[in-house]
Amino acid sequence: MHRSNIVRIIPLLLLLATGEASAHAFLDHAEPRVGNKVATAPREVTLWFTQKLEPAFSTITVTNSAGQRVDTGKTRVSGSQMSISLRPAGTGTYHVTWHVLSVDTHTTDGSFAFQVGQ
Amino acid sequence: MDWLGAGVDGPLIVIRAIHFAATAVVAGSLIFREVVAEPALGSTQVATTVVRSQILLTASIGLAIAAVSGVIWLQLQAASMSGLPFGEAMSSDVLSTVLNETQFGLVSEIRFVLAIILAACLAYDRLALLRWLALASALGFTAAIAWTGHAGSTLGEMGNLHLTADALHLFAAAAWTGGLVSLAHLLSAARRHQGFAWASLARDAAQRFSTLGIISVGTLLVTGIVSAWILVGSFQALVITEYGLILVLKTMVFAIMLVFAAVNRFWLTPQLAFSSEKEAQVKALRRLTRNSVIEVALGFTIFAIVGALGTLHPAIHFMN
Repeated sequence: MHRSNIVRIIPLLLLLATGEASAHAFLDHAEPRVGNKVATAPREVTLWFTQKLEPAFSTITVTNSAGQRVDTGKTRVSGSQMSISLRPAGTGTYHVTWHVLSVDTHTTDGSFAFQVGQ
Repeated sequence: MDWLGAGVDGPLIVIRAIHFAATAVVAGSLIFREVVAEPALGSTQVATTVVRSQILLTASIGLAIAAVSGVIWLQLQAASMSGLPFGEAMSSDVLSTVLNETQFGLVSEIRFVLAIILAACLAYDRLALLRWLALASALGFTAAIAWTGHAGSTLGEMGNLHLTADALHLFAAAAWTGGLVSLAHLLSAARRHQGFAWASLARDAAQRFSTLGIISVGTLLVTGIVSAWILVGSFQALVITEYGLILVLKTMVFAIMLVFAAVNRFWLTPQLAFSSEKEAQVKALRRLTRNSVIEVALGFTIFAIVGALGTLHPAIHFMN
């Protein structure tokens, strides 16, 4: 093993001691796509993750440019896929915020935006 | 570090390590009983009562620690899953959601039932049928851990392969590390009692455990490679990610365990078998006991590393 790798292990031992840890399920892709522009407001937002999700602890919220909720409030989870229906809310920037628990017991959260209209 | 707020990763790592070690001791002692001790005791009646009660006591203590640490693991997991401070997460709503609506909760319930069956079998241990039921329950109690970790969330056909590899990996780790605890007890008793019958039993047990150890090491290597291939994926990911480097650390500790196992197998066990001098046999027995205890300590170090690995991003996520 290279000396540099041995040096890298030292902070990892500290990591073990401090117990710092990260989460697991990553966002694989979304529809509408992250940062994309769509002509008309979508009826729902769907997110695909890299691992299976726990429905009880996984949620999506979608807000419009004014910060108002435009989702119906009921997140649907199937395997590694999660969706939420949207109410008609016109054009502008939509912000999607997600929080998921993967079945290996780790939580992840994140957010992205997409544009509706010109 | 926030030990009892929403950030419960530190305590989770510690409690997972304790739970994995205790579970391995339970399953390992019962595997040891059926594949090593009972066949070896067949020709040495004098030590039967001592060895059987040692194994039963070891398995019972292991089960008690596994049960207590399992309950604490569930509570810490509920706090981690809900994102609530520990005290608030102990509400019946949160605990019931975790138990009834998550895979971790379902697996915990199944393992709880298996632990009760196992406890009953250990309490009424005289029937052969109950001894085998105890072993089956202990193996189920151990294998089910696979569904609480990365293997349980791997998608598709790869998920089945990952779960199979993980369950076999857990069996092998329990057979080797957990079995070593019972072997160390047996060798220690042989050293205390001395006499031809005990020396013969120690020799026979050490030889039989060597075979179990070789099978366990082979299984650990193959299943470890399969899991690493799924969770790490490349040599680059192994050496540049936190997950990969901790896995390297685990492999290094495993390699040190192998060195001790090789010394036991190829040097000390033959001395026990072929040395005609009593003094040389006692010396070999003492070294074999000491090495077994060191191997157990290294095995428990690996469980601590595994406790941390389970909380990290698999390395392959960073490479795609």
